[in-house]
Amino acid sequence: MDENKKIIKILVVMCSIFFIIVAYLTYLQVFQGKKLMENVYNRRNNEIEENTLRGSIFDRNGVVLAYSEKNGESYERIYPYGALYSHVIGYNSKIYGKSLLEANYNGDLLDLDNYSQVFGMIYRESKGNNIYLTLDHRLQELGENLLKDKKGAIVAIDPKKGEVLALVSKPNFDTNSKWLEGNWVSIVESDKALLLPRATQGLYPPGSIFKVITSMGAIENGLDKKTYEDKGKVIIDGYEIKNSGEKVLGNIDIKKALAASSNVVYSEIGVELGGSKLKRLADRIGMNQDISFDIPVNKSIFPYDTMGKNDMAAVAIGQGEILFTPFHMAMITAGIANNGKIMKPILVKSVVSSEEKKIKDVRSNTMYKIMDVETANVIKDMMHEAVENGTGVNAKIEGISVAGKTGTAENHLSEKNKGKEHAWFIGFAPVEDPKIAVAVLVENGGSGGGVSAPIAKEIISEYLQNILKH
Amino acid sequence: MFRKIAYYIPLCMIIFINIIGYAFLAFKEETNNMHAFLVCFLVLAMVFISYVVITKKKFGESYLFLIVSMLLSIGIMMIYRLNSDLAVKQVIWMFVGNVAFFACYYFYIKINKWHKYTNLYIAVPVLLYILTLVFGTTVNGAKNWIIIAGFSFQLSEINKILYVFFLGTYFKNQDKLFFQKSNFSEKNKILINRGLLMFITYLNAGFLVLQRDWGTIALLLLVYLFILYIFSEDNRFLILNCGLLFPTALIGYKFFYHVRVRVEIWIDPWQDVLGKGYQIVQSLFGIGSGGFFGTGLGMGKPYMIPFASTDFIFSAICEEMGTLTGVAVVLLYMLLCYRAFKIALNIKNRFEKIVVLGLALMLGMQTFIIIGGVIKLIPLTGTTLPFVSYGGSSLVTSFIILGILQAISKGDFSNEGEKYG
Amino acid sequence: MICLKGVGKMVEVILLIAKVFFTFIIYLFIFSIIRLIYLDIKSMNVSKVNLDRGFSTLRLKTKRELLSFKVEDIYVLSKSMTIGRQDKNDIVIKDSFISGIHAQFILENGEVYLKDLDSKNGVFVNEKKLENNNKTLLKDNDIIKIGQIEFIFIKGE
Repeated sequence: MDENKKIIKILVVMCSIFFIIVAYLTYLQVFQGKKLMENVYNRRNNEIEENTLRGSIFDRNGVVLAYSEKNGESYERIYPYGALYSHVIGYNSKIYGKSLLEANYNGDLLDLDNYSQVFGMIYRESKGNNIYLTLDHRLQELGENLLKDKKGAIVAIDPKKGEVLALVSKPNFDTNSKWLEGNWVSIVESDKALLLPRATQGLYPPGSIFKVITSMGAIENGLDKKTYEDKGKVIIDGYEIKNSGEKVLGNIDIKKALAASSNVVYSEIGVELGGSKLKRLADRIGMNQDISFDIPVNKSIFPYDTMGKNDMAAVAIGQGEILFTPFHMAMITAGIANNGKIMKPILVKSVVSSEEKKIKDVRSNTMYKIMDVETANVIKDMMHEAVENGTGVNAKIEGISVAGKTGTAENHLSEKNKGKEHAWFIGFAPVEDPKIAVAVLVENGGSGGGVSAPIAKEIISEYLQNILKH
Repeated sequence: MFRKIAYYIPLCMIIFINIIGYAFLAFKEETNNMHAFLVCFLVLAMVFISYVVITKKKFGESYLFLIVSMLLSIGIMMIYRLNSDLAVKQVIWMFVGNVAFFACYYFYIKINKWHKYTNLYIAVPVLLYILTLVFGTTVNGAKNWIIIAGFSFQLSEINKILYVFFLGTYFKNQDKLFFQKSNFSEKNKILINRGLLMFITYLNAGFLVLQRDWGTIALLLLVYLFILYIFSEDNRFLILNCGLLFPTALIGYKFFYHVRVRVEIWIDPWQDVLGKGYQIVQSLFGIGSGGFFGTGLGMGKPYMIPFASTDFIFSAICEEMGTLTGVAVVLLYMLLCYRAFKIALNIKNRFEKIVVLGLALMLGMQTFIIIGGVIKLIPLTGTTLPFVSYGGSSLVTSFIILGILQAISKGDFSNEGEKYG
Repeated sequence: MICLKGVGKMVEVILLIAKVFFTFIIYLFIFSIIRLIYLDIKSMNVSKVNLDRGFSTLRLKTKRELLSFKVEDIYVLSKSMTIGRQDKNDIVIKDSFISGIHAQFILENGEVYLKDLDSKNGVFVNEKKLENNNKTLLKDNDIIKIGQIEFIFIKGE
C-alpha cells in the first residue's frame, strides 16, 4: 500500500503546518503582545486612556512638569511650564497624538502593564504610573532664560551617572492642548522649525570644539610631544586655512594650540593622522551610530569614505561635512570628564506607581570607552588651559576650576557672509572631580567664546554653587 | 460502564462551553438574556439531537460531528457577541446545514454511483462560474457572490466539492478516464488524459482568477498537487505541475496589483497602518490585546477588527477568549483533519479514498490559509474559517462535506472493534 | 470608596477564574476526544490480536469490486456469531440477497458449525445447500456461499 504511506506523509505535513500556526501564534503573544497592546494606533488604548488618570511627570526633586486633571467627562493634560519642556516631554493631544516622552512612556503613564499579557486588556477606572526625570527644573529654567529669543540648545549631563540635568531647545512652543490645537498649523508651518528639538535632533557643524577629539587622536599617536610652527595661515593641497583673525601664534605645542584654538596646527595634525585614523576616531566616539535614549536622538554624521587632504584638514578643525547634535557633544564632553568613559544617558530616573511603589529604577552603565584615563587627563588639562588662558576665559568662575573649549563653526550662511557662525561651547567642572558637563549651542550666534561660554558659565556656577549645596 | 460515561464527556463539554459562554454575555447590559438563552438552547438542541441520531442509528463515526459541534459553538457564541442578529441567521444556517448533512449522508449512500458522473463534475462548475461572472456581484474585491432576495450565496464553494469528485473519478483508474474506447495508442491516451486533467484544473483556476478569489485558487491548486503526489504513479508529472505553479505565482504577482498589495502588507503592514495595512494591523492588535486567556467574552473590543464576524473571526476569538483558545481551535481542526485522514487510510475503494482525502485537504488547507493570513504568517486572503465564520454558503457547504465524509466512514469497520473482541 | 474597590477586585478575580475555566473546558474536550480515539485504536488492535490467537476465520473469496456493498476481507470467529443484514447481527452485510438474520456460526468443543436460520436464499457449503436449522460441521478450506458472497473457511488451531 504505497499510497497509504504517502497519505501518512501528507498527514504529517498537515499536522506540521498546524503546529507552525500554534508556534507563530504563541510567538506573537509572548514577544509582540505588549508592543501590540501599547501601539499608538491601537484604538483600544483610547478607551483605556479615557478611563485612566494618566501619570504625572516630575523633575528629580518632585517639581510637577506635567499632570492630568478631570475636566468634566474626560481628562485634560496640563503642562504648568508651558513651552519649557516641549522638546523633552512633548505633547499629549487627542487630535495630534503623542510625542517624545508622552509617546515613549505611554505604557507606563497609563499603567498598561498590569497582567494584561496573560489576561488581556482590562477596561476599568485606574491610575497610571508617575515618572521622575533626571532633569533639574531650576537648571532648565535658567537655560531657557539664558537663551531667551535665540535659537539653540543647552545640554547638561552628570558625567559619572549619565543623568541629564538640563535639556533646553529653543525656540519651543506651549504644549497645553488649548494652545497647541488652536495654533497647530502655524506651529507646523513656522519658518523657525518650532517642532525640531534642536538639542537632540538638530545637526550642526561642530567647529573648533571638534579639536578636542582631534587631540585624542594626536595624543594617542604621540603628536602631543611635538612643537608646531604657526604662521597664522597654512596652505594644504592648494586650500588656505587661517587662524581666527589670521593670528600668528609662533612655535607652540598642542596644549597652547588648543587653548588658542589654532586652525593651522590642528589642520596639520589632521593631515598627519590621515583619513583612516580620523574615521576610526569618529567611529569610537559614536558617530553614524544610533544613540539609545528615552527620546529620539539623531545620529551624528561622518559621511566620508575616502578623504583627501582638504577633508582631513577640514574635519580636524570641525568643519567640512561632519555634523553633530548638541546632545552628542554633551555626551562626549561628559565622557572626557569621566576619564574617558561615556555613560549611557538617562532622562527617566524612576517609574513609581500611584500608590508610591517603585516600579522601575534606572541606573546607567558605560556605553562607550572613548579613551584611556591618561589621554583623558591630558585633554582635561588642555581644556582647563583653554578656559584659564585661552579662548574660553568667559567661562571662568571664581573659586572653581572649569575646563572647556569654544567653537565658532562656519555654516552655509556664514560662508556666504549672509549670517553668523554657530556659537558652541563645551565644558565641565570642577576639573578635579567633575560634577557637570555642558554643551551650549547658539544657532548663528557668532563667537563661541563670546556668546556660548558665558551661558555655560552661568549654568555651571548655578549648579555647583546653588543647586548642589541645597 | 466507564466507557459509556467516557463517550458522553465530549458532549457535556460542549454543553458547558455554551453555558459559560452565554453566561459571560449575560453580564453585559446590552444583552437580551432571553434571546441569548434561546440561541444557546437551539444550538445545544440541534447538537444533541443530531449526535443522538448519529450514535444510536450507527451512522458511522461520531468524532467528526463532535469536533464540528464544538467549533460551531465557539463560532456562534462569538458571532452573537458581535451581532446578535447575525447569530440568529447563523443558527438558521446551522439548521439548514444539519439537514443538508443528513440529506447528503442519506443520498450519498443511496446513490452509490458517484464515480460515474465525470461529465457532471466538469460541466457544472463551468456553468456555475459563468453564472457568477454574469450575474454575480463583487464583494470586497472578489466577484464570487450571487445575491437572491437578500441572501448571498457563494457558488464557488460547491465547485470545490465537485472538483474533488472529478479528481476522484480521474484517479480511480489513473489516466484512463477519457477516450478509453478510442483508437489512440496507449501512450497517447495517457498524454491526452493528463492534458485534459491539467486543462480542467487550470480552467477552474482561471475562472477563479477572473473572480479574483485568490484564496480558493491557492486551495484548489494545493489540493490538486497533494492528490497528484499521493496517487500519481508518475513523479515527473507531479514535478511538471509543481514547476508550472511557480511561474504562475510570479506572473500573478507581477500582473495583478491586488496580489502585490497583499504581499507587501504581509511583509510590512506598518508602512500603511491606516490604509492598506489597516485590516491586518487591527487583527494583530486584537490578538495582542487579548493575552493568553482573553479579555473575557463581551469584555474586549473585537468590533474594532474589520470583518470580525467573517474573515477575522479567529482574531476576535483570540482577543476575547484568549490565545490559548485560539490554539485550541487550531488543535480542533487538526483533529478533524487527522480523523478524516484516518478514515481515508482504511478505505479500500479508490474513488472514495480520493474523495475523502480531497475533502479533508480542502478543509485543512482552507483553515490554514485563513488563520495563517490573519496572524500574518502568510499573506491575507479572503476565505472563511469553516464552521466558525459567519456565512450561509460556507456553513452549508462545510456540512455537505461533513455528510459525505460521514457517509463514506460508515463502511469503515474500525469503530466497531468491539464486535470482534 | 474602599469597599467599592474591594467589590471591584472580587469581580475581577471571578472574571479571571471564569476565563481560565472556559479555556480549560475546551482543552478537556480535546483531551477527551483524543482519549476516545485512542481507546478505539486499542480495541481495534485487540481484534487484530484475536487473529493471532488461532481462531477460525472467514476469508472473502468474491472480488470486492464486484460487490456494491461493504464487506471485510476477513472475519474472525472468536465466538458463536450470527450473520445477516440487520444491524443486530455480529457480522452485518448489507446484501439484498441476505436475509435479516441469515445464518449462525456455532463454536462447540473446538469445532465450528454452520446453521441456516431459515433464510430466504439459503446457505451453500461447497455448492451444496444446507438443510434448514441443521448445524453442519465446517472443515478447513470449505467454500461458504451466503447471498452473493463466497467465503473460504480457514480453521484455526
